[in-house]
Amino acid sequence: MEKLAEPDREVVSRVLQEVGFAERIVGYQVRERSGPMAKSLYSFEEVCDFLHDQFPVLAFEELTRWLRVVMRDEELALKVAEAVEHGHTDYERTRRIRELMGERLMQCKKARGSMA
Amino acid sequence: MKGYMGEILRVDLTSGRVTTIPTSHYEAWVGGHGMGSAIFFDLVKDKTIDGFDPANVVTIMTSPLCGTLVPAGAGRTEVQGIGVQSYPIGWFTRSNFGGRFSTMLKQAGWDGIVIEGRAERPVWIDIRNRTVQIRDCRPLALWGTDTRTCQERIWSYVAGKGAFGDWLRPEGDEGGQTTQRPAVLTIGPAGENLSRMACLIHDAANSSGQGGFGAVWGSKNLKAISVIGTGSINVHDPKGLMEARLRQTKMYAFDLDNRKGKPLSTVFDAAPRPVTLWGIPPGSRRPPEGQRPQACVGCHAGCRGRYASGIGNEAHCAGTAFYSEASSLDIQRRSSDLLNRYGVNAFEAWRGLEYLRALNKAGILGPGKKIDFPLTFENFGSYEFVEQFIRMIAYRNDGHGEKSQAGDDLGEGFVRAAKKWGRLEGKEGDLKTGLLNFPYWGMPNHYDPRTEIEWGYGTILGDRDINEHCFNTIFWDVLLSRFIGGKPRATAEETVRIYTDKMIPFQGDRLMMDYGTENMYSEHIAKLVAWHRHYTRFWKQSALLCDFRWPDFVNPYAPDKVGSTGESEPAFFNAVTGRHVTFLDGMELGRRIWNLDQAIWTLQGRHRDTVHFADYIYQVPYGGPSFMPGRVNGQWDYVNISGRSIDKGKFEEFKSRFYHLEGWDPDTGYPSRGTLRSLNLGTVADELEKNGKLGKG
Repeated sequence: MEKLAEPDREVVSRVLQEVGFAERIVGYQVRERSGPMAKSLYSFEEVCDFLHDQFPVLAFEELTRWLRVVMRDEELALKVAEAVEHGHTDYERTRRIRELMGERLMQCKKARGSMA
Repeated sequence: MKGYMGEILRVDLTSGRVTTIPTSHYEAWVGGHGMGSAIFFDLVKDKTIDGFDPANVVTIMTSPLCGTLVPAGAGRTEVQGIGVQSYPIGWFTRSNFGGRFSTMLKQAGWDGIVIEGRAERPVWIDIRNRTVQIRDCRPLALWGTDTRTCQERIWSYVAGKGAFGDWLRPEGDEGGQTTQRPAVLTIGPAGENLSRMACLIHDAANSSGQGGFGAVWGSKNLKAISVIGTGSINVHDPKGLMEARLRQTKMYAFDLDNRKGKPLSTVFDAAPRPVTLWGIPPGSRRPPEGQRPQACVGCHAGCRGRYASGIGNEAHCAGTAFYSEASSLDIQRRSSDLLNRYGVNAFEAWRGLEYLRALNKAGILGPGKKIDFPLTFENFGSYEFVEQFIRMIAYRNDGHGEKSQAGDDLGEGFVRAAKKWGRLEGKEGDLKTGLLNFPYWGMPNHYDPRTEIEWGYGTILGDRDINEHCFNTIFWDVLLSRFIGGKPRATAEETVRIYTDKMIPFQGDRLMMDYGTENMYSEHIAKLVAWHRHYTRFWKQSALLCDFRWPDFVNPYAPDKVGSTGESEPAFFNAVTGRHVTFLDGMELGRRIWNLDQAIWTLQGRHRDTVHFADYIYQVPYGGPSFMPGRVNGQWDYVNISGRSIDKGKFEEFKSRFYHLEGWDPDTGYPSRGTLRSLNLGTVADELEKNGKLGKG
């Protein structure tokens, strides 16, 4: 699996910060019986956690826009768009996106450690 | 009168008088909701009173099926009265709960309990077979306890401290004996402090959640009702009932050795497993722990669990979806326990917390903010956070015992609190943008009216989030199938055919199941909504079949996937009662009960102009997922109905169609004399006329 390039300082900073109310992304936590729960997500890590839920529903186009505009992570946005295009089911797509975002999160945490 | 015990207990808390009502007086209403509505109508002369008024009457009703072997039809109890949760009016409303309370009540000799008045000081009701006493809470120090402690103290008082399973003689040597412990229905601190989100709790987590009946009890100074009985229930045809059960479970229930279809949790063929929605936070794992399913009385497929640790026992569904952001599974499970111990409605707390967090993120709410709020959201995800939050709701203070205006506001429920905070005003009000996701009667969104129309329309035409999963199973089946790439239980065409063939008396109208935008305001959808209201009012809320298991439409174990609904409901009912009720009879009874309810709401002040969703439902497209049956180029398919809102003008037209179908006055929504007379409700028409609220026609 192709690795993501190391993130620059701006991406590291944005990925590890919470975003404001206006920059949040909304997903739907879908758990059988309780109804689709609209959930506002306020950080990159929160999105990662959300994608680990049982049936997380995020509008993929909105996610790529969010990564590009809010996280300023052009590379990841592109990779996510590819994953969406190549996935056969939303489960597959979500799993791949989860991996990509998880990898980026780890890179950023590592980078912050080395900056400290 | 088979299946009945013969009398309904009537307790006047103001005078301390305990009397009885012969069940036969209300037998025409069968049981559960029907009886409850009829008793309420007769006893509450002024329907416009507030839910906290001592003249409010709360009914707690069983059905002939309770305590028998009817699968998923023997364990529910129906609660009714004027509620305090809905907004802007506390409607006459209902809630029900599972467990063993209704069985024990019948075994004690009662078909229901009617609570009137207000006690001078906190009391509890001690029922031991036919002996009924109103007891002061002080000797057991019950007032102030959480629901678990209260139940434990009552168990010890009534049953002693013997081991579970020991024989108990609740009335000494005069009566019978049982190995059971009293079934107790109680309020927690939320009810005592009149929090509008307060529930009634029975055992670990059976909750009568909607309506705020916990607060109604609190206002009556009623802490708990304990019942223990040693009698039995007289069934018309025990052999026939047993055979019907065996046939039903053999033909239509989950079979571990021969699994069929996608496992869903609200179908007759559901596997007996806990319906818990606790997530597993990334990086953690579900700890190995002994567990077993737990079921209501008589159920073939229990939906709750008990665990070796005891944490989260019997919690299920929304009670386990609450606080999914917790930093560990252990905290999530303990959060469920907090809700049940304090007696707080899980659904409103869950959805409301999302709203509070949004306000906090927007810089509006928090310590020292415009809405000065004691919760520190930096701790969001921790146990300390959720405990403080639930205590704020339950005690209406800061969650640490100190006075707090914000806590008091929360006790009023989220919509009333938002109004007080000025959040509903102006073009960007939170019910206009949808930031406060409470679309109907001040209740939190469960299934969205913009897509799952039978749910949304049924709710706004009624009194509460209907929480009836009859058609909702399709939503889940299709959504999960699309997510993982599998096939739904049936094609859209098969689903539409199987469902509509069973929807007597509208059977065969396929367009009842067309959820497409072009059809969503049609007379066909009016029939769908009417069928749903009538079915649930009788079969689910009066006969008290469980919402999680009935109706049985598409069933992968059945020949041609055609489930048992239409045949099984009356078969079980008749085996117990000895009557000859048909499925259509039940639907007609449901229509009668629904009309009585509409008359009560009309007397409370309902008019068609008051029946509308929150503004955002008309203005903001739904962004979540939803696939339901619809037609594409004349062919049935599961269509994506996300991205739409409700057209306000067309919804008004829909209301006219619906009122017309029901025989109500389309100009007002008031029931008409002609319709009421045809349902043998002439006295109800008289009452409406006396109040100037009888519809034309």
